[in-house]
Amino acid sequence: MSTPVLAQPAPDAPVVHRPTVGQRLTSFMPVIALVVLLAALTIADPGFLTLSSLTAAVRTAAPLIVLAAGATVVVLCGGIDLSIAALCSLATVFFALWLPDLGGATTLAIIAATGAIGALQGVVHVLLRIPSFIVTLGGMSIFAAIALVISDAGPIPLSDRDSTKWLTLYVAGVLPMAFVVALVLVAVVSLVLKLTPLESWVRATGYSESAARLGGAPVDLVKIGAFTLSGACAGLAAVMLVSRNFSGSPTMADNLLLPAVAAIVVGGTAITGGHGSLWRSLAGALVVTLLRVGLPIVGVPSAYEQILYGAIIVAAVALTLDRSKVLIIK
Amino acid sequence: MTTSPAEADTDVVHAQRPRPRRGVSLMDAGPPIALVVLFGVFAAMSPGFRTFSNVQNVLDAAAVLAVVTCGISFVLMMGSIDLSAPGIMGASAITVALLVANNRNDNDLGLVGVLVAVLVAAALGCLSGLALVVLKVPSFMATLGVSAVGLGVATLMFAGVQPNISDAMLEGWAVERFLGLARLTWIALACVIAAWLVQRYTRLGRYAFAIGGAEEVLALSGVRVAPYKVAVFTMAGAFYGLAGVMVTSQLGAGLVQAGRGFDFSAITAAVVGGTLLIGGRGGILQSTVGVLLVTVLTNGLVQVGVSPYWQGGVQGLIVVAAVAAAVIPQRRRNQVTK
Repeated sequence: MSTPVLAQPAPDAPVVHRPTVGQRLTSFMPVIALVVLLAALTIADPGFLTLSSLTAAVRTAAPLIVLAAGATVVVLCGGIDLSIAALCSLATVFFALWLPDLGGATTLAIIAATGAIGALQGVVHVLLRIPSFIVTLGGMSIFAAIALVISDAGPIPLSDRDSTKWLTLYVAGVLPMAFVVALVLVAVVSLVLKLTPLESWVRATGYSESAARLGGAPVDLVKIGAFTLSGACAGLAAVMLVSRNFSGSPTMADNLLLPAVAAIVVGGTAITGGHGSLWRSLAGALVVTLLRVGLPIVGVPSAYEQILYGAIIVAAVALTLDRSKVLIIK
Repeated sequence: MTTSPAEADTDVVHAQRPRPRRGVSLMDAGPPIALVVLFGVFAAMSPGFRTFSNVQNVLDAAAVLAVVTCGISFVLMMGSIDLSAPGIMGASAITVALLVANNRNDNDLGLVGVLVAVLVAAALGCLSGLALVVLKVPSFMATLGVSAVGLGVATLMFAGVQPNISDAMLEGWAVERFLGLARLTWIALACVIAAWLVQRYTRLGRYAFAIGGAEEVLALSGVRVAPYKVAVFTMAGAFYGLAGVMVTSQLGAGLVQAGRGFDFSAITAAVVGGTLLIGGRGGILQSTVGVLLVTVLTNGLVQVGVSPYWQGGVQGLIVVAAVAAAVIPQRRRNQVTK
């Protein structure tokens, strides 16, 4: 996908950027959607707004938050990572296979391995100048193939359930540990981005890559870093999935790709790059999870879930797209 | 693709202008050569591969992919991308299975059922095009969304009970042979020819090329690009719909997953055949060579004893390698890749 980027003619006087009403509205979109959804679900089923069901909801959301958070950084750079779900599935298989040998270090090994795989994709994308969605689409099918071959196309049970037990605990008796880990991840990554020049490099790359290059930002390294983070997050999400299912399976996370992409765009991160944040994806992931959990409560058959994802993705991308930047949409 | 002005200009600006790539360049000749070499290698390695019946198998196995690739080629020519094949094929597979004679209801519409399924698929394709043109959603996002919608529609119609078809005509497509090849293969051949005629002789086909080559120029010269983009996606949807019907005929039942993986295989085939993802190059015939390449590779790897699970992985490697091979000559120029 090549999107010829044409800069608008620069006005002479410095113009203070003032968001329009529409922009203000879309920037609060995820929070508004979250509140509206919660209210609607509570009206549909007054029993929904209880501690136990909310706890269950955020626990389900944790792997999705982690996946979406990692891929958000890639989207902020203007790329896309379509391989996260397949990489996550592969990582669950790795986890189940490596656990007997590595024991407690498996989690770290998994995150390091998926990070390295993500970095490899980034290097291929940057060095060969192949569009990121082709690299990751190729990666998606390669990872799926590797997972199928090494697992023999079946689930592999965990040899030792204690190693992932810490993720199933509850903090202060209510907050699931997996959700806390996801929150910490989002907070730490956001902070690191904010406190270092990284954030401006990432945004500059997303807004206008050629300008960022001319301005001296290490665009290639930033992109490779983004893919590394995305891969590492897929590994962490895999550990969370394994801790819930007690097994690794070559297709375990495959149905998380659409929800993760939906979470990113619903959060308001522009698919054209530059605009957005990890916190937005966190809110987006919660919205998507609430939809998933909520549809059966309202009495809608789960088949509508897919249709809803499709509609949400298209609508959210349309709302958040930076039209001033891309004159020709391919 | 006009030839006369270029020829008229040659004596005037011969030196400045790069020659139009005519004749056989390496890029055009590469895929057919690769096909022959690959065929030779597998024939030498596996006695099972070089039998006549296996060649029949390869051609029959290429049928569905060829039809999907016909559709996706037009989209790629425009420089867009289409990931909606799995969803659209699923929707059309269930639609046709419910409309011809089947075990779920009393419908027996025969060919009309096939037509309706193709129309449903075309409508879904049109949806992608409209999302691209009206809402300005990049095509890979729009089609990802439409794919999900198609799968959802298919799941709704599936309703938990698999529709098995008992329509003699549709079942016959996959079984009955004509000149040694299944009817589906002939249908695929007809599709390829039809798509080639569209590409070569209609305004739609030429504009699809031109949009991929230089959309700005086309728009500035007063062509309203949007309707043609929608039309291309609609046509692609119709091809996927027919492919979904063909899968239903092969399986004897309508499945939601009828199109699983076909989006990626079709992109692989088109790219391997020499269609550039940035648009403006390639075509139906090149893509069809790519389809044969992918199918020969799939079949050959199984014949020499490689696990079928590797298929997707091999395609993934090929697609990245093929895109890289096409892009590397211009990598100094293309500083920006998203």
